Amino acid sequence: MASAVTFHDVSKRFGRFTALDRVGLTVEENTICGLLGRNGAGKTTAMQILTGQITASSGQVHVFGADPYENEELLTRVCFVTESQRYPDGYRVRHVLRAASWLYPNWDGDYVGSLLEDFGLPLNCPVKKLSRGMRSWLGVVVGLAARAPLTVFDEPYLGLDAVARQLFYDRLLADYVAHPRTVLLSTHLIDEVSDLVEQVVLLDSGQVLIDEAADTLRRRAVTVTGSAAAVEEFTRGHVRLHSEQVGSLARVTVEALGEAEHAGARALGLNLESVSLQQLMVRTTARRATPASAVGADATTKETR
Amino acid sequence: MTGTATRTLNAARLQLIPYQTNRFLPWGILGISFAINLLIYSLLGPEDRANGFTGGLASIYVVFFAAYVRAMVQVFPFALGMGVTRRRFYTATALLAVTESVAYGVILYLLRLVEDATDGWGVSMRFFGITYLVQDNPLLQILVYAVPLGLLAFVGVFVGGVFRRWGMNGVYTLAIAVIAVLGGLAALVTWQRWWDALGGWFTDQSPLTLLAGLPAALAAALAAAAFLTIRRATP
Repeated sequence: MASAVTFHDVSKRFGRFTALDRVGLTVEENTICGLLGRNGAGKTTAMQILTGQITASSGQVHVFGADPYENEELLTRVCFVTESQRYPDGYRVRHVLRAASWLYPNWDGDYVGSLLEDFGLPLNCPVKKLSRGMRSWLGVVVGLAARAPLTVFDEPYLGLDAVARQLFYDRLLADYVAHPRTVLLSTHLIDEVSDLVEQVVLLDSGQVLIDEAADTLRRRAVTVTGSAAAVEEFTRGHVRLHSEQVGSLARVTVEALGEAEHAGARALGLNLESVSLQQLMVRTTARRATPASAVGADATTKETR
Repeated sequence: MTGTATRTLNAARLQLIPYQTNRFLPWGILGISFAINLLIYSLLGPEDRANGFTGGLASIYVVFFAAYVRAMVQVFPFALGMGVTRRRFYTATALLAVTESVAYGVILYLLRLVEDATDGWGVSMRFFGITYLVQDNPLLQILVYAVPLGLLAFVGVFVGGVFRRWGMNGVYTLAIAVIAVLGGLAALVTWQRWWDALGGWFTDQSPLTLLAGLPAALAAALAAAAFLTIRRATP
């Protein structure tokens, strides 16, 4: 498979602040990649660089093998949907759609109709008057109907309720299957997209913490529950992502275990649970944020009590 | 859909949306200004009308300037988000500015002809045919209307571009720099007692140089500066 997006040693500094710190990553063509991370992790900066909105301070960025900055031929094949998209005063919904139809060669006008109906988006409404959710949906409509070989969604769901978000995921998946393309999606709502994404990239403080296939990642960590002594004994020598203790019971999240260890755990009477992507993200990033992993555990324990 | 001309045209069309506001508003405002002046003139006695002209035409220049500031401040970030490159957007804006300036120049010239033919709209009002603007040659007349419009458009694009690249701080810095340079020059001229010579130089120039030649040179300089600014501007 060819690569749709590659970052090689990419850094971006804003004055003294480092938004991206020597990021390297690759997104293969025709996959859905989730770009995850906390606020300020560098997700938006990375997306702005790969869509040619801003330049990197150093490093190489390639989209379909070319530098995206000011690359006209390339940028007609890239659609960037961001919650911070600015619309000129006086623009109505239909104006935005008309503009998009001029600028994206694969624009599907028929598909637009059904997407508008999904949300009851009024064509004649000035964009400035739309609610937060409706504005987000307008971005979704543009992003899907543009059928751009690389479609980048930067937190496209702001203001959308759970039903609308599900509608977006369903629409995205259906259209992705019918018209395969590369989709890059940044989000905080990790579990909502965990079935959608094939690749997961986790950014934290401008660095790539995790870059793996979603399938592998789901099997990457397990939570071991049981008596404190047994858990302590069993998890010694493993990378502990998180631990908490209530009374004599302990729960410890560790990195992937082999088959033999699974069997060993059961023999010790320990309970093994797979960890959701969201929990894995929280555990992985929290561990970095507070070097003493006990801090996170204390908080959780108090909650449990 | 992928030709260079089509792309430029599309980038220009973004700036015309919504069409009614952006293309008819300048003329609507000019129309109101015209109507007010017409009313005032119809109340004046013949002797008061004799040598005057109105400044109503200035409104269209102001609105024209504002339209190009809007292009940079509002339409540019939208266009960038839709995959238009800076270079393409700039090219489209510059071509639109030149085209519109000429078109406006032609319309203003035609209105001047009507003004002449109707003896100043029946009330000896000189709204379009302002004394120092009047040229006998139609082409020169169109230039005299069009070039200052083009200049204002490029001032707008440049100032808007500075805002996009450096924000309000950039615009303030620019304003301070312009005031400092002009003030410095004025001080220099006063100190060296060059005012008479300078005045003489201006009097020696043909109206065409002052109304079309110099503004065209200034517009070209601003167009270049605007391009350099926009090349690295962000949405």
